[in-house]
Amino acid sequence: MDLDTAVKVAIYRSTADTGSPPSLETVAQRVEAAPDVVRQAYTRLRSNRVLFLEPDGVTIRMAPPFSGVPTQHRVTVDGIEYYANCAWDALGIPAALHRPGLVRSRCEQSLEPLILPIRESGPEASTWLFHCLVPAAKWWDDLVFT
Amino acid sequence: MLFFRSEELIAAWCRIRGITPRPIVRMNQLWQLAVTWYGTRLEPVSRRPAPAEMRRIFESLGLEGDFWDPQADTFG
Repeated sequence: MDLDTAVKVAIYRSTADTGSPPSLETVAQRVEAAPDVVRQAYTRLRSNRVLFLEPDGVTIRMAPPFSGVPTQHRVTVDGIEYYANCAWDALGIPAALHRPGLVRSRCEQSLEPLILPIRESGPEASTWLFHCLVPAAKWWDDLVFT
Repeated sequence: MLFFRSEELIAAWCRIRGITPRPIVRMNQLWQLAVTWYGTRLEPVSRRPAPAEMRRIFESLGLEGDFWDPQADTFG
């Protein structure tokens, strides 16, 4: 496995285990590489749209579907609490973990709470809807807004 | 990328902001997108779908048109 792949897998598996993206130092320990080398891998992973980093270049804001900051989209899987970046990613967390879970979010207009159980085969029948404002070609122009 | 309780509430949210409503995605479609995008995300082999793959994925779910085209430069 090349370094970039090892770094990516370390980030994702650590996030899956703990609920939050790991520090640079934690990733460096997992892949047995120097932090500066791992930092360079972060830059490449950002260029390849695998990670979204804070301006410091080492704090992970998004490892989609996981969010590094609290959001309105909360997901519980096996007792671990995660934040998702958006509605799509809220379903993406149980999909990535291949485990049942519970999505808690809201209707953006009425603020009615959404509580959506997810089985391994998918969400329970629901008439709730998903709306994406930004066309696919522009998703990464401003990923936080998207 | 947000959840809404109904089409009427999407329309109201867009109207308040002066935005043209975008295509609506139902929960079963969203689950298929989630599985396709993220089902292998924790594995070494995972990667983002290429643009042509993205178009095929969207089309297979009935999500067609420039809005869902990752290379479109025509959508306003």
